[in-house]
Amino acid sequence: MQQTTTVRAGGIGMGVRDERLVPYASQRVAYWYFVVALALFVLQLVVGLWLAISYAFTIPQSIVDVLPFGMTRAMHTNLLVLWLLLGFMGGTYYLVPEEAEREIYSVPLAYLQLVAFVGTGVAALVGFAFGWTQGRPILEIPTLLDFVVVIGALIFLFNVGMTVLKGRKTAILGMLLGGLVFLAVLYVFGMPFYRNLTIDWFYWWWVVHLWVEGAWELVTASILAFVLIKVTGVDRKVVEKYLYIETGLFLFTGLAGTGHHYYWIGAPRAWLWVGGIFSAMEVLPIIAMVVDTFHTQRQRGVVIKEKVVWTFALGTAIGHLIGAGVWGFAHTLPQINYYTHGSQVTASHGHLAFFGAYALLNLTMFWYAMPRLRGVTRFKTYPATLGFWVMSLAVLGLGVAMGIAGVLQTYIERVLGQGFMTAQAQMQFWFKVVLFFGVFILVGALITFWHMVTAKQMREEAQESP
Amino acid sequence: MSNRNAFLVFLAGTLASLVLFLALTWDTHQQVAALTNADKLSEQVVAGKRVFEKKNCNECHTILGFGVYYAPDLTRAYARIGAEGIKTVVLHPETVFANSFRKMPNLGLTEQEATDLVAFLEWTNNIDNHDWPPQDRKYTQSPDQRRLQGAGLSPGAAAFKAQCMGCHSIGGQGGSIGPALDQVGAKYDAATIAAYIAAPTTINPNAKMPPQTNVSEADRQAIGEFLAKQK
Repeated sequence: MQQTTTVRAGGIGMGVRDERLVPYASQRVAYWYFVVALALFVLQLVVGLWLAISYAFTIPQSIVDVLPFGMTRAMHTNLLVLWLLLGFMGGTYYLVPEEAEREIYSVPLAYLQLVAFVGTGVAALVGFAFGWTQGRPILEIPTLLDFVVVIGALIFLFNVGMTVLKGRKTAILGMLLGGLVFLAVLYVFGMPFYRNLTIDWFYWWWVVHLWVEGAWELVTASILAFVLIKVTGVDRKVVEKYLYIETGLFLFTGLAGTGHHYYWIGAPRAWLWVGGIFSAMEVLPIIAMVVDTFHTQRQRGVVIKEKVVWTFALGTAIGHLIGAGVWGFAHTLPQINYYTHGSQVTASHGHLAFFGAYALLNLTMFWYAMPRLRGVTRFKTYPATLGFWVMSLAVLGLGVAMGIAGVLQTYIERVLGQGFMTAQAQMQFWFKVVLFFGVFILVGALITFWHMVTAKQMREEAQESP
Repeated sequence: MSNRNAFLVFLAGTLASLVLFLALTWDTHQQVAALTNADKLSEQVVAGKRVFEKKNCNECHTILGFGVYYAPDLTRAYARIGAEGIKTVVLHPETVFANSFRKMPNLGLTEQEATDLVAFLEWTNNIDNHDWPPQDRKYTQSPDQRRLQGAGLSPGAAAFKAQCMGCHSIGGQGGSIGPALDQVGAKYDAATIAAYIAAPTTINPNAKMPPQTNVSEADRQAIGEFLAKQK
């Protein structure tokens, strides 16, 4: 008790380690992963505002020539992927010692890996500004940097793998490690140059789809399972059983569900059937996850003390259901997708799904770990939840505005057959709405992040608890 | 259910889906050559694909519906505006989009790069992808289908709709790459318009439109007669 009250947690910094909060010293590498991830997320949002401005207003030719839309768009998506991956890795380094009940195999390797990834990110962003790119959306980074990523990933897998091998083995660790290996293997399919455009996109989706609807689901389900056990106190056996069933459903529907990207690329017609049927079922594991999360809380009747973590956890469950489940289902059937494919409907789905399923999931883990890493046991929860609501409602507003733009585009361009720019003219108002909500996303994010890295310890008698 | 059984459910579901996915992947490799005319996938097409990637085209445009939604899909760009149209757009975007509220950067393509890019987009245009995108079906239809589409229209209006509206508009309908033609009849007569389509600079030395070599003589006459009435 003495120790907690003497901890002073002001400003940005790790503070003093409280061994009851952070049982293993090596868990502290996660701190820097999280801080860098948050900074990159903010940068991603700022670049996003510029993209919204480019859609909503006319950018003069003189600016377009030196700062093309495509260059900044590459930055927006690469920042997204980089911060989410750093978040997953930091989350992994935080939870593995507690699960395996031993220190991380090598702390210097964990830092070396962070440097490799951040270095790659900075080189990629600067490179984009000078036209150094592979020119394939999301997988733009040049081959040379691809190899640095591969080396970083191998270090990570080695480090985590050695820790798990030498420590306690749990279902959560097995699933997490499986997801991480799967994630790394898939990346390789995005590296070669493909002569045939159809084959190029076929394997592009092995990376992008099988990441977000496969490997990442395994990683995030494991992280969420860890947080659920910790904050609800539910029996590990129950959580692990749900983990198997949910990830099993995710992979059953998600693997063959890749077919929904192969409808219109010059692949055989069989994909229309398989993609349509399996991806229509992709909403099932998400519903199971939401039911499971609420059920866990209600059945146990536990009073959850970590209000902020729980707000973000419920947020990610519901955000996942809306963004990935409902929005995904809405345009996944071939009969509908024929008209909506490659329109703003996809952009709407992409924003809601990434935010709900992955951004909020990462922030759930951050909110669990960061106060502990900073030695804070009780803090004001108000700014954190305010930030959550501002950010989440603004993302919802942005997704709906893009969705309306997408429906307009689908009708004017695809159904009526009018020109691309004729449709864009009708959509322009909604891009201004997107920009409006974009500003609030940034504001909400800044509120919650600032609080995460600076929240001060409150006295015991204070009413609020973490 | 015990945890062991839950694990078996996980394993069975994953493997079943994986087997189906890999079987269809194998099937795709068997059929892709025919579906994409792989025999026409020449070195120039590959060079064009490299230009497409080097110039970051996919980061504003979609192709096969993938990429970014800032600019039109390029799957059927070749059918829509033809080889000369593509070259004009990529070499002189500042002129083509002078009046557009969305601009395209001048990416500094060489003449050779532009030609390679055209080869790539011509090859892409012929991929059998179940007739996607819907808005460009009118450019890839057979002459018979086109005639049916134009039923109820004069021959000139039907030909205009099928061959000119990718770039030009009338009454707000159509593309915005070329000027709107609502009042073109006040400027040129039918014969002049027909000649303009074949060789624009002979009528207007400052014309940006490339010669429309795919439009037949009969269609040019019909389009000329139709447009001459637009005043």
